[in-house]
Amino acid sequence: MKKIDKKVADAYFREKNTYMAIYFAIWFLVSFVMVALADSLTDVQFLGFPFHYFMGAIGALFTFIVLLFVNAIVGDKIDKKYGISEARNEEIGANNMINH
Amino acid sequence: MDTQFIVSMLIILATFALYIWIAVYNTAKQTSDFYVAGRGVPPIFNGMAIGADWMSAASFIGMAGTIMLLGYDGLAYIMGWTGGYLFLTILLAPQLRKFGRYTVPEFIGDRFNSKAALIIAALCTIIISFTYSIGQLSGSGVVIGRLFEIDAKIGTMIGVVLIAFYAAFGGMKGITWTQVAQYIILIIAYLVPVIFMSLHLTSNPLPWISYGEILTKMGELDRELGISEYFAPFTNGTKWQFLALMFTLMCGTAGLPHVIVRFYTVGTMKAARWSGAWALVFIGLLYFSAPAYAAFARFILMTEVAGNKIAELPAWTQSWIDTGKLGIADANGDGILQWPELQIANDIVVMATPEIANLGVFVIGLVAAGAMAAALSTAGGLMISISSSFAHDIYYRIINPQASEQKRLLIGRISIVVATLLAGIIALNPPGAITQIVAWAFALATGTFFPALVLGVWWKRANAKGTIAGMLVGLAVTLIYIFSAKYGGFTVLGIIDTGAGVFGAIAAFATNIIVSLSTRAPSQELQDAVINLRYPEQMVYKDGEVYLNDGSSKE
Repeated sequence: MKKIDKKVADAYFREKNTYMAIYFAIWFLVSFVMVALADSLTDVQFLGFPFHYFMGAIGALFTFIVLLFVNAIVGDKIDKKYGISEARNEEIGANNMINH
Repeated sequence: MDTQFIVSMLIILATFALYIWIAVYNTAKQTSDFYVAGRGVPPIFNGMAIGADWMSAASFIGMAGTIMLLGYDGLAYIMGWTGGYLFLTILLAPQLRKFGRYTVPEFIGDRFNSKAALIIAALCTIIISFTYSIGQLSGSGVVIGRLFEIDAKIGTMIGVVLIAFYAAFGGMKGITWTQVAQYIILIIAYLVPVIFMSLHLTSNPLPWISYGEILTKMGELDRELGISEYFAPFTNGTKWQFLALMFTLMCGTAGLPHVIVRFYTVGTMKAARWSGAWALVFIGLLYFSAPAYAAFARFILMTEVAGNKIAELPAWTQSWIDTGKLGIADANGDGILQWPELQIANDIVVMATPEIANLGVFVIGLVAAGAMAAALSTAGGLMISISSSFAHDIYYRIINPQASEQKRLLIGRISIVVATLLAGIIALNPPGAITQIVAWAFALATGTFFPALVLGVWWKRANAKGTIAGMLVGLAVTLIYIFSAKYGGFTVLGIIDTGAGVFGAIAAFATNIIVSLSTRAPSQELQDAVINLRYPEQMVYKDGEVYLNDGSSKE
């Protein structure tokens, strides 16, 4: 065990949270905000669809998938930046369970 | 027996043989196999298994039909059932994985160091999974009913026997790999008809792009008939209902015990992140296609079925009338079927469309097999949840901690059989359409587990009393709202029973926070354990400091 400087540990947490806030802001925009505006978007056409329908059926879901992959990739990058080794994580993870 | 029956039956039997072979090959030998598949499933396969576990009869059989009948308003299901994966994958799953337990109630019990919280969480798991499984059994009833051209009720009884046997047999390890196979079968079965319909109607093999023009054409047809346009928003409910339903489905997704437990089957927090991302890709394949399915089915019904003489309707109509799910009434007595005279239940659209579009016996059989895969895989996951709550959380953790592994497995299997039979009895006369019943299960998860888990993971000050009070109040408010909206006609802002989760969640969050703050804070040890969940496995939080576990010295 090696002590990590408190500033470094806090920075790790803050960096993770900043990204999280960005993901949830985008998530809120493509779902709740788009629905709230749906009746005023009916006349806008997009790729042959009425725009509000496109967002509900395709746009929102597509954005969610992209956000989850960005989250996974960025999460890995942050871990790497702070010197976290996935091999070590696996080892610890395998032991970290209550065995009944 | 006609060719259609024989072909459908052969395809279903072949897929079942495959599942059983996989299950036997991976039989659970230990308790950890039975509950969490030994925790070594790679993320991409875990993503497929989550997809199969997740995509229930409601997604496969019910969703396209619901969208077809509700138009834009049905898209709340698409956004809600996928948007929740962000909560799950970012806010909850990795942290719960780091905590390292078998089940969701066990997390709640140990996080708050409270047996009462464990018991209440186990009961909530049973209530939610039980409600959900009613929808699955009623779905398998629709499929089996159509196959044998019998009443859906008798189909349900056959489904009960199949599912009870199937889930009691395998456990989580068998189920993980069976679910991978089930995912592949169900997604092929869903995509084949929609691609054929797309080719047939638009000469474009990519339904996801081509159905825009069909939507526009349907808008014109609707205006000619003098009904509101298919894509017009909020014609079947208020905007508030749409938002409430979407919220309920999102939070419910993140609080469903049988889905969360799938994230326990991977090794690390990183693997949990990737599992969530892959799961949503696999789920997305079906969810992108459902609105296309709905649009094509409605277009074919409007242009190729409506307008014909009732005496000359194709043979498929009679088979569906026999199941009690299709109604044709010649209201104006002119002998011709008009669009408004066609009464079609949400739950048969996906099953009936290949026949309506004349796609041939093989495709129809394939869709039946896919629908059975969806119902079976989700019912399997749900039954594991019920049995682990009962046999593990209540029996082993509370009643008899000395129980042997064999005894616990036996109790688990008995509870699966009993739960399936009870759910089957209710599914004989389902209290709503499949998607609606399933939405209630989500509302219950939103009102109970979502607040308890979010606060439990992210707020160290949340304590046992607050969480217990929150879960109980959330459960009560959700149940009362569902019943008074469905049977009493009581609504707020036009929000009906399916959106009840909003009220449950608000009540539960408020109760949890108020009660936690007005009672004693959890022990320092528990608070440290909560902060510890913010960091990856290798980082350890202890006494206000963070350590890097590099293996240099064992502590």
